Amino acid sequence: MRWFLIDRFTEFVSGDYAVAVRSISLSEDAVDDYVPGFPTYPSSLIVEGMAQTGGILGTQVGDFEHRMVLAKIMKLQLHTEAIPGDLLTLRADLQAHTADGAVIRGTVHRGNFLLAEMELMFAILNDERFKNVKLFEPAGFCRMLRVLKLFDVGVNPDGSPIKIPDFMLEAERAELSAS
Amino acid sequence: MPSNEEVFEKVKEALMDALGVDDDEVTPEATLVGDLGAESIDFLDIVFKLEKAFDITIPRDDLFPDDVLTSAEYVQEGRVTEVGLAKLKERMPFADLTKFEENPLVQDFGNLLTVQDLCNYVSTKVA
Amino acid sequence: MRFTQLDRILTLKKGKSIEACRCLALSESYLADHFPRFPVMPGVLMLEALYQASMWLVQVSEDFENSYVALRETKSMKFKGFVQPGDTLDVQCKILSRKESLTSLRVAGTINGESAVGGRMVLESYNLNDRGIADVYLDDYTRSEQKKMFRLLCDQMNPENPSKLVMSTS
Repeated sequence: MRWFLIDRFTEFVSGDYAVAVRSISLSEDAVDDYVPGFPTYPSSLIVEGMAQTGGILGTQVGDFEHRMVLAKIMKLQLHTEAIPGDLLTLRADLQAHTADGAVIRGTVHRGNFLLAEMELMFAILNDERFKNVKLFEPAGFCRMLRVLKLFDVGVNPDGSPIKIPDFMLEAERAELSAS
Repeated sequence: MPSNEEVFEKVKEALMDALGVDDDEVTPEATLVGDLGAESIDFLDIVFKLEKAFDITIPRDDLFPDDVLTSAEYVQEGRVTEVGLAKLKERMPFADLTKFEENPLVQDFGNLLTVQDLCNYVSTKVA
Repeated sequence: MRFTQLDRILTLKKGKSIEACRCLALSESYLADHFPRFPVMPGVLMLEALYQASMWLVQVSEDFENSYVALRETKSMKFKGFVQPGDTLDVQCKILSRKESLTSLRVAGTINGESAVGGRMVLESYNLNDRGIADVYLDDYTRSEQKKMFRLLCDQMNPENPSKLVMSTS
């Protein structure tokens, strides 16, 4: 299975909030055979969807320069299960952002119904141990953000569109000319 | 201006929430790291909750004076010097450093802060 | 493809605790995305492993009375270590309290004895049929499939395996 747990961004305001959508399908690996007789979407993957929505929101503040990972689920409440045919709306609000990490408050809705709410903490991998650890190739990461429509809907607080950072554009150019 | 008791109650709630510890574990003398099991991941959470609860800003250096603890001027062979200790006292008047002074190893610094120290700090910020 | 995040249930004390393990293989397809240059088990799958172990503990403790045991809440769930391909995440869950349909547990995962993940969770037991989610047939079917899955997770070659705790009626 791929590890894209959101389908695309529908709203994105830098340093403020982001909204993404996720449609749940009966034909997904994770739904089929999870609980035979009761096709349901694993709730841990709802949390991942929020971690992706919020993590991208948090790391975009620093122009995607920092490696940010989920460090703590401060609070999580899952009110009910998501099932095939559901269209989930995930909203992440940035509550805090420092040199060490970020805190996101997330809500997940199915229409008007609040399915889940959570508070997630992300840490920037500053430790010596992770000095040489790279998470993504810049070109691949940028491609993922394009596919998620981030640069189509993303705006700064003043309304101007979010620009793709130069280091990502250069990496994309280098990758294309190498092939 | 919140009373000492009000400050303690709010700090206790933040610690219980962040560290998943029980009411009776959060005593004034309890150390955040040693007794309550706080790790580096938790400090961002604690700071976030305290900033929200008291409407204050907590600069990282206030609670973790890394610049002092990693400076050749104040640390020699893993121990904080006399000058370094004086600097720490100046920077952290809310903390009781007497125990740390007995054997000022940099690696032990993380275990210094008690719940009471945190309450003292918050009280000075709120004033 | 199953979404089990456990490979084996090692010990189970009804009403009390469970130990299980999850081995990470480089061949797991989602690792290509998480992360392309640093394949590690996503934190939420560590969470899922802890939930599944807790779920089995509750199911066996309640003699599979309910067709579904859901994750409702977690508190202060910390991710402290990365599970890399070749590592085994050892899972330990302990029941703290039970009140009506809710069970509170303390859950932890270690890699070679080092703490990798931990916190508290609350699970809710219910019958799909009681909530109008499934009819009686699907309710019974779900329950019987859960029992089969539980047996699969126990080491059938070990005479002490916990699957003996499961009622034989389907």
